[in-house]
Amino acid sequence: MINGFWHYFISTIDPISNLGFSRALPELSISALPHWWLVVILPFVWNVLPTLILWVVYLIKPTAIRPPLPVRPDHAYPLVSLVIAGRNESATIGQCIRGALLCGYPNIEVVFVDDNSNDDSVAIARRAALSAVRTQKDAERVRIFPSPRRNGKASSLNIGIRMARGEFIAITDADSVIQYGSVQHWLLPFDDPRVGAVSANIRVLNMPHGLLTRLQDIEYALLFTNGRLISASLDLLNIISGMGGLFRAEILRRLHGFDTGLGDDTDMTTQIRKQRWKCGFSLGAVVWTTVPETRDHLWRQRARWRRNMIKIRISKHRDQFILGRYGFKNALLACVLLLSRLLWTWAMAVGLFVVLFEFGPLYVPQLIVSFYWIFLIYLLIRALIARDLARTPQPINFALLFLYPFYLMSLRIPTLYAEASELMRIGAKHPYVPDHVWGEIPWW
Amino acid sequence: MNDFAPPVTGRAVAAPVELPGAAAPQRRLDLLHQISSAGGTIAPTANPNAEHGYTYALSGDDVDRDLAFLSARNYLEARFFDRVSLCPKCDSHHLNVREICPSCRRAHLSAEGLLHHFACGYVGIPSEFSPTDDGSYLCPKCNRKMHHLGTEFDRLGKAFSCRGCGVISENPPVEAVCLTCGARNRAEDLISTLVFSYVLTSRGAAAIRRGSLFDGGEEDIVVVGAPVYRRGVILEFLDNEMRRLQRFKDVFSVLSVKCAPAALGPDGNQAPTEWLSRLREKLRDVDLIGQVGDALYIVILPQTKRREAESLCDRIEVALGRESPLTLSIAEITEPRDLAQALPGLAARAEP
Repeated sequence: MINGFWHYFISTIDPISNLGFSRALPELSISALPHWWLVVILPFVWNVLPTLILWVVYLIKPTAIRPPLPVRPDHAYPLVSLVIAGRNESATIGQCIRGALLCGYPNIEVVFVDDNSNDDSVAIARRAALSAVRTQKDAERVRIFPSPRRNGKASSLNIGIRMARGEFIAITDADSVIQYGSVQHWLLPFDDPRVGAVSANIRVLNMPHGLLTRLQDIEYALLFTNGRLISASLDLLNIISGMGGLFRAEILRRLHGFDTGLGDDTDMTTQIRKQRWKCGFSLGAVVWTTVPETRDHLWRQRARWRRNMIKIRISKHRDQFILGRYGFKNALLACVLLLSRLLWTWAMAVGLFVVLFEFGPLYVPQLIVSFYWIFLIYLLIRALIARDLARTPQPINFALLFLYPFYLMSLRIPTLYAEASELMRIGAKHPYVPDHVWGEIPWW
Repeated sequence: MNDFAPPVTGRAVAAPVELPGAAAPQRRLDLLHQISSAGGTIAPTANPNAEHGYTYALSGDDVDRDLAFLSARNYLEARFFDRVSLCPKCDSHHLNVREICPSCRRAHLSAEGLLHHFACGYVGIPSEFSPTDDGSYLCPKCNRKMHHLGTEFDRLGKAFSCRGCGVISENPPVEAVCLTCGARNRAEDLISTLVFSYVLTSRGAAAIRRGSLFDGGEEDIVVVGAPVYRRGVILEFLDNEMRRLQRFKDVFSVLSVKCAPAALGPDGNQAPTEWLSRLREKLRDVDLIGQVGDALYIVILPQTKRREAESLCDRIEVALGRESPLTLSIAEITEPRDLAQALPGLAARAEP
């Protein structure tokens, strides 16, 4: 029975079958078979082709993807204010502040806003600041604001923005660490005066922790690194991550900071795009972040992300779907996100039911198995290119690629639940936002 | 306890040196007399024209230097009174100390509480929120009215807003401008010097009774007229015992001797010489007795465990009799912690 299953499972990549497939390829290319176009061609065009084009560009002109740093004297570097907002982050805030102060950028200040923590985050932050500065003048580069009342992340970031003095404001999470030399790369896209914000290249800090973090390392390499590199190249970057985003200070001040509620990074990116600023991505600006290590934590995170996406993109900023109001690209981006994030998942589920009823129950497993192998081959191509372009994912994690489709499928559970509950407005209140703020927010 | 300590910043206290001239000992003795007449204590008084902002109500030349000299030789005990900040360039204490903007370095700051509007998350200083006719404020971000403090908006503590460049700072740097030479210094760069009040010691009282300062080296080691070591000497012995304990696990005991105030004489600083002599006679040759406070003495009993020390203590108490003003207590020292418990004030000094 096991042999039978194994034979069935690998039949898709059987050389003889594939020989037949290659002979049928010209005929398939002009066929009207929906499976061929939906299962093979569409994922290739959507996922693999942009990556391949990017790779070819990289081979021909590497500096287009990895621009070299210009040599500048220290005084020519603009002041960058790093704003960190956190609550009960005593375990990680120390390394975050030390990493920022010792990141090799000569003109940086750190503003840490503690959102009324119950632990000793403030004391640890002060100690970390003192341990990383050499002179009293250096000590003035770190400012810590212990908030007397819990206000939520967005408001805490706004406090930090008000205190920031820099021409550029970087925002990271308290559990993230800026890699040495990253800030110089982070600033490069701002040479284009139309760029208003630049996303960092987010990498997984706690990758060796376990299977889940290693799978997230693959995911971050494909989606956060490669995906955002492609999106930014097309001026379709839809998010400046809260884990690592650099903004022109004038934009944040003109927008009066972040709006309260969840999904502050998605919201701010959308607002910046609506102001017709470009959003960039820097491959060399590496920010290491701590990802969830347990399934529960991961599911909660992804459910929160998905709810934010629906709430902010579909509800709060629904006006961006209107062609011509905020530009063609913003309308296109909104439609693409709606299609790829929401409708695509539901279409897949509906498609499987259609196949089930049209071709019988035996055809569904065959389709899924075929799709698995096609997806795996595409995945391998993308991962190899990501490795060549961005040195990520880690080589050892290639051995886990065969598990990655199952990982993605498992993430559909919390996201589908989040979509359904958000659309039906079930359990909208989230503990990330304190009650007294939540009750006043008009758009949640 | 003597509060004499090094200055807070790296500036050394001027070493008390002998001034030329035969009048110096007499002048210092006069100072001791004046302090004794003033009740045994002299405290500085504020004087803006003085070099460091304080003067002592004592007559004589070079009073500050003589007081330091007498304190260094245990005629006076220096007790902390105040710390004075001085300009590092001209030593003047005429300083204008104020917060400055961390960005433009100007002192044009105003202390304002940041306001936080819950509905939109806007954070700003109160002057940014324009008042309306009905007494509420208008949020500059969302243009909503804010009526109720605590439910619609809140204050986020005190912050300093620069009127020059607009930067908001929760803890701005402090700068001192010297009003004498005009130098601008960071608060951290200022020189600090300590100002003391002075208390007459038993040695100082003895010098007054004798009519002259002591010259010999012996008086620097033992309390005048009593067979007990001075505080500094006995603490050195105690340090040495602690080092022996650390290295050789050489357990020892400490006999703490408290003297009733009545036995300290009318001015409260005379050693109970007779009783201390009787106590000394009952001790072994290797035991060391010294004064650590006005009415507190300790006896170091080397290589003596608690049981032996207790029997020794019993013998002494019997020998001294019931009328003795001395109260004895025993502590066995097997590790530094024991000393900290037995004599809390001495622990830091005695630990190696």
